[in-house]
Amino acid sequence: MTISEHLKRSALPGMAVAMLFALVLGSWLFGAEMADLHLQHRQRLAVLQANALVLAVADTDAAGTRKRVGEMQKLEPRIESVIIVAGPQLLASTRPGDGAPRQLKREEKPLYDLSNLIRTARETNRGEEVVRKKTIQIDEMPSGRLVVTLPYLSGGEFAGILQMQFDGSGYPRAAGDTFPFPILLLIAALLAGAALRMQTQKKVDPAKLIALVAFLLIVLFYQQQQIGRLEQVVKQDNRAIATQYLASAEQLDRLGYLPLLRDPAGVNHWDTDDYERPRGVIAADGSIAEEAETKQLARRAGFIRPILWAIDLFAVAVLLFFLYGYAGRAYAAFREHIYAYIYVAPAMIGMLVLVFFPFSYGITLAFTDTTLFNESLPFLDRLIGWGNFKAILGDFNIYQDTAEGIIWNYQNFYWTLMVTVVWTITNVVIGVSFGFILAMVLNTEGLRGKAIYRVLLILPWAIPNYITALVWRGMFHPQFGVINQVLQMFGLEPVAWFDGVISSFLTGVATNGWLSFPFMMVVILGALQSIPKEMYEAAEVEGASRWQRLRHITLPLLKPTLIPAIVLSVVWTFNMFNIIFLVSGGEPSGANEILVTKAYKIAFEQYQYAYAAAYSTVIFMILLVYGFFQTRITKATESF
Amino acid sequence: MANMKTRNHIWLHLGLISFTLLAIYPVLWVLALSFSGQQSVGLIDLPQDPSFLERLRAILPVPEHWSVKNYTEVWTEQQFGRWLWNSVVISLMTTLLGVFLACTAAYAFSRFRFPGRNTGMLMFLVSQMFPGTLMLIPLFIIIVKQLELGNTYLGLVIVYATTSIPFCVWMLKGYFDTIPYDIEESALIDGASRLTIFWRIILPLAKPAIAITALFSFMTAWNEFILASVFMESEANYTAPVGLRFFVGGFSSQWGYFAAGSVIVSLPVVALFLQLQKYLISGLTAGSVK
Amino acid sequence: MNKPMRIILVIGGLFLAGVFGAAQAAELVLWHAYRGAEKNAIEKVAKLYESRTAGTKVTTLAIPYDAYADKITASVPRGKGPDVFIYAQDRLGGWIESGKTVEPIGFFMDEATQQQFLPGMMDAMTYKGTVFGLPLNYKSITLIYNKALVKTPPKTSTEMVKLAKSLTHADSGRYGLAYWYTNFYFHAALMNAFGGSVFDKNGKLVLNSKETVASIKQMMKWYKQDGIMPSEPSETLVSSMFNEGKVAMVFNGPWFIGEISPSIDFGLAMLPVIDEAGKKPMRPWLTIEGAYISASSKQKEAAYDFAKFLASEEAGLILALEGRQLHTNAAIYKDKRITGDVVLNAFHDQLNSAEPMPNRAEMTMVWSPATTAMNKVVKGNATPEAAIKEASKMVQESINALRKGR
Repeated sequence: MTISEHLKRSALPGMAVAMLFALVLGSWLFGAEMADLHLQHRQRLAVLQANALVLAVADTDAAGTRKRVGEMQKLEPRIESVIIVAGPQLLASTRPGDGAPRQLKREEKPLYDLSNLIRTARETNRGEEVVRKKTIQIDEMPSGRLVVTLPYLSGGEFAGILQMQFDGSGYPRAAGDTFPFPILLLIAALLAGAALRMQTQKKVDPAKLIALVAFLLIVLFYQQQQIGRLEQVVKQDNRAIATQYLASAEQLDRLGYLPLLRDPAGVNHWDTDDYERPRGVIAADGSIAEEAETKQLARRAGFIRPILWAIDLFAVAVLLFFLYGYAGRAYAAFREHIYAYIYVAPAMIGMLVLVFFPFSYGITLAFTDTTLFNESLPFLDRLIGWGNFKAILGDFNIYQDTAEGIIWNYQNFYWTLMVTVVWTITNVVIGVSFGFILAMVLNTEGLRGKAIYRVLLILPWAIPNYITALVWRGMFHPQFGVINQVLQMFGLEPVAWFDGVISSFLTGVATNGWLSFPFMMVVILGALQSIPKEMYEAAEVEGASRWQRLRHITLPLLKPTLIPAIVLSVVWTFNMFNIIFLVSGGEPSGANEILVTKAYKIAFEQYQYAYAAAYSTVIFMILLVYGFFQTRITKATESF
Repeated sequence: MANMKTRNHIWLHLGLISFTLLAIYPVLWVLALSFSGQQSVGLIDLPQDPSFLERLRAILPVPEHWSVKNYTEVWTEQQFGRWLWNSVVISLMTTLLGVFLACTAAYAFSRFRFPGRNTGMLMFLVSQMFPGTLMLIPLFIIIVKQLELGNTYLGLVIVYATTSIPFCVWMLKGYFDTIPYDIEESALIDGASRLTIFWRIILPLAKPAIAITALFSFMTAWNEFILASVFMESEANYTAPVGLRFFVGGFSSQWGYFAAGSVIVSLPVVALFLQLQKYLISGLTAGSVK
Repeated sequence: MNKPMRIILVIGGLFLAGVFGAAQAAELVLWHAYRGAEKNAIEKVAKLYESRTAGTKVTTLAIPYDAYADKITASVPRGKGPDVFIYAQDRLGGWIESGKTVEPIGFFMDEATQQQFLPGMMDAMTYKGTVFGLPLNYKSITLIYNKALVKTPPKTSTEMVKLAKSLTHADSGRYGLAYWYTNFYFHAALMNAFGGSVFDKNGKLVLNSKETVASIKQMMKWYKQDGIMPSEPSETLVSSMFNEGKVAMVFNGPWFIGEISPSIDFGLAMLPVIDEAGKKPMRPWLTIEGAYISASSKQKEAAYDFAKFLASEEAGLILALEGRQLHTNAAIYKDKRITGDVVLNAFHDQLNSAEPMPNRAEMTMVWSPATTAMNKVVKGNATPEAAIKEASKMVQESINALRKGR
């Protein structure tokens, strides 16, 4: 048995690649989660201390505050320093030689700005009655230190900020990943793969099935075990924080700064999130609220599971790809057609970098709830899943049936989609028919002045479409527009073009038709000229009529050039932003908006970036489906 | 027979002339605006209760007073010459790069049958499908942040060329398909290499399509404005369309300057088309060789 | 979850702290969207600043207005871009909310600097109590009239309507008054006179109020009942009618002055007092351009010093006299060359009754629905009450989508 045959019948390569894929991604994900848990633990402990201090100094005067700050720092060795900034003043500081109270120095501007930022955040959350701005800022310094900044309150009012710096050492480390464990699983998978012999000719054979089942078992076992570990760590952390809380609270109680509430139903204001909201997991007496903890666990699992499913699905696809021999065939094909790939590669690489990266950027954005206001939040905080798509596609409020008849809802996606489709079809039909007629005419043999006509007719294409769009808008002006002047010349009533849904639509169609026929004309002209005259002569000799020649020679020979031109022109017209935006602007009331202009307005007039990205992704999907079917149909009807 | 042909041509000419007039009317309007010496878009100054003739005068795209003031001011006030030069360089580089990359890819798509061919073609088409409104930031990240190509010709050329490639590939592939394979086969049998065949046989035969795609690549680069103004960081590196946009937007717009600038910017494209016409015609003879 | 950006910010802050106090850096970059006389004036000011501070070089870059905001949004948050940039206050709120774009400068700013500006100017540069820019120049609308038709400009709405009626001959296309009354920016002057507004001080939308409705009714009275205004208003219509002598009075801003044909002898006056609004004056919105320090600038203190110079009396005189800008420095309006300038003076007078346009990001969401509402009312497709209610509902929906709770 040769090596290649051996590989062909062995499940080993498939198992190896798929398992590596699943395990590497899996341990990366769990590793990141563990690191995040560790970080959160550190930060919750720090916020706990900081909140306690803010509460402890809330009702004393400046001198009392300085005293309490000093006392508190002594209680907790991890606290390196505490400062309180009120306006342009450094109110208190435990940094040696700082000499508080004093004015802030030039280089302490970031503190002043941070104080304003947190004040604004609090005011915004209250004024808008929506909690959307973080009021506690946590900074992980590269040195391993941790800096927590939160509002300093005096008499219940915002008076400045309190910043606490923590030493990085002494915090519990997350237990290092038991590294041999995934490796053991990998070895198990490899052994299973090596042991299985497949019958390549059979679709369903026991070896393939066993490989699949074994793979799934190992992967799911691994993931389940890891989730269990995560949950365990979350629980441990909660208890550790509760212990710390109780110890500190008892100390403060003893000092007489803050009374310790010994009520299991009381709210714990020490353990808060970044918006100063109590987490609710640890009660005021230090006991764990089981219900809240279960919720906390479910939230974490709810975040991980979909990602795990995606990894599993993909890994299984990889496995099947190998098991069914596609990988081998792909490799062979690659070897065989290497020159073809070399020809295509430069263009393709350019595309991948400059087109498909921006795509994935946009598509990723579509799964978040990014707006102008939360842009600066970390990506994972903004991730929401399919929400935007549900909102766009699930909104069927297309019209209202009122006493005065049907009122269309022009803001609805499906209305805009309908307008876009009608817009595309109308324009492409106009472009192709005018282009075709003109090309046929200009291809007439012995016609004088062809070159002049050609140059003049190409002008609409040559002049930047930005200016011509504006000229057309001017031509449709109700009072000064040329078109209404001509109507009035012949005794007709002027038309208020942009007031009616249909008339406004026509302004766009006229402008775009005017802009797009030269392109079609040139394309068709080029193709017509490549048709050998002999073919027509031969047909004429055989007595074919004009129509027959058109039907049986010209059109079939135009097809290879015309189809791509039409496909492209459909795609372009579908996304023709400038004309709609500049000529009618979607008037009246957004009724003539097409999908791209709508997406633009959502992004730049309403600042809902993610929603706009989802809109763009939907547009993309629609065109993708179109492109797919178009190429299918074209292939099916390809006659030569 | 001959008589009939001539009569047909008269009708053809009549039709063509009226259509052409209609088609270039907005262009004439831009010309009139550019030579009007004024800045507002409204050329028409109608008296009360205008007569038919007065209305006719009003819709004729002829300025009330002729003046080249708009042209001289556009040319002298800004570094327009410099910007045109930048545009020429960038557009020509884009054309060269775009057409070269497209030709090779289109040739492979037309002549070879390989796995992934349809997917590849679809990928090029797909790239035209994502709305451009959200592309600015990611492109900025790649070109300016990662590749450090801000404020250079190359940065813009790369983006423009990749923008124009899909169209060029599709166009050229369609055209290559119409060139019979027999010619290549016999050349292959004669011992010619693929490269020779591509260079000596296919390219000359495909001149008309190459002319169109070159024109398209050129115009993609020539008319683009937003990326050019975002990527360039010194006025000396702006392109002509960027310079043109200074006249509009914000609180007030100088339409006269804008029109004059547009005419100046459009002239090279028109000239280029005139130039490429020859290739379209030579493509005719070459195409009939087969 | 974790916060890499924050860390970068803090490191940036520390790094800055090191740079502060060190020798002033060599090159400052200023972005603006000017051309023509304004561009020459700002470049002159930059040169002057260079000559004042030995070793500092100022590079200016003009950017077409249509690409300007995009260029800022793309480059500054990614650590590129200028040290100082000039923009109107309408974008300020958005840039601040999205973060990493505009540096707060309240810390640098002393009392004297704050006090040197005309009233209202600092408000436009202040967002939620924090100062983010130095105001440079302002624009507002005022009353511009054809001296051949109007001997003394009206002081009150009653006078204005009376005068306008005597000048209106709708049959021959002559009107007493014209302005872009369907555009919400222009209408705001009337809305403010009635005491209406778009947001309250907490940022709550209060567009749908009886004051706003009353102001639209007032506009409709001028248009329908008094018949003193042409239909289908637009910037083009207003300027061509004024230049043809077919309209006696217009409400328009400084940008309009350049479009007036030389054959028209025009005068300027304050917008009238509205008798129907309890004798309150019309209060147009002010658009105020400010100089902002880029959050990614490596030399913020030097940048602030330059921005302060742009806002100074010395630079103000150059920008006003050569760039024809309405500079914000109060001192220049005592200069003889300025007091002798009818146009600059007239717009300065209008400041007595004007207020800054809101600089909140949410304002962008108001324009389109509000203008649609105005059009509906004018075309008779809706009552002012219904139109404003609908517009307000739409704006509120957009705002809710933006202010998402966490």
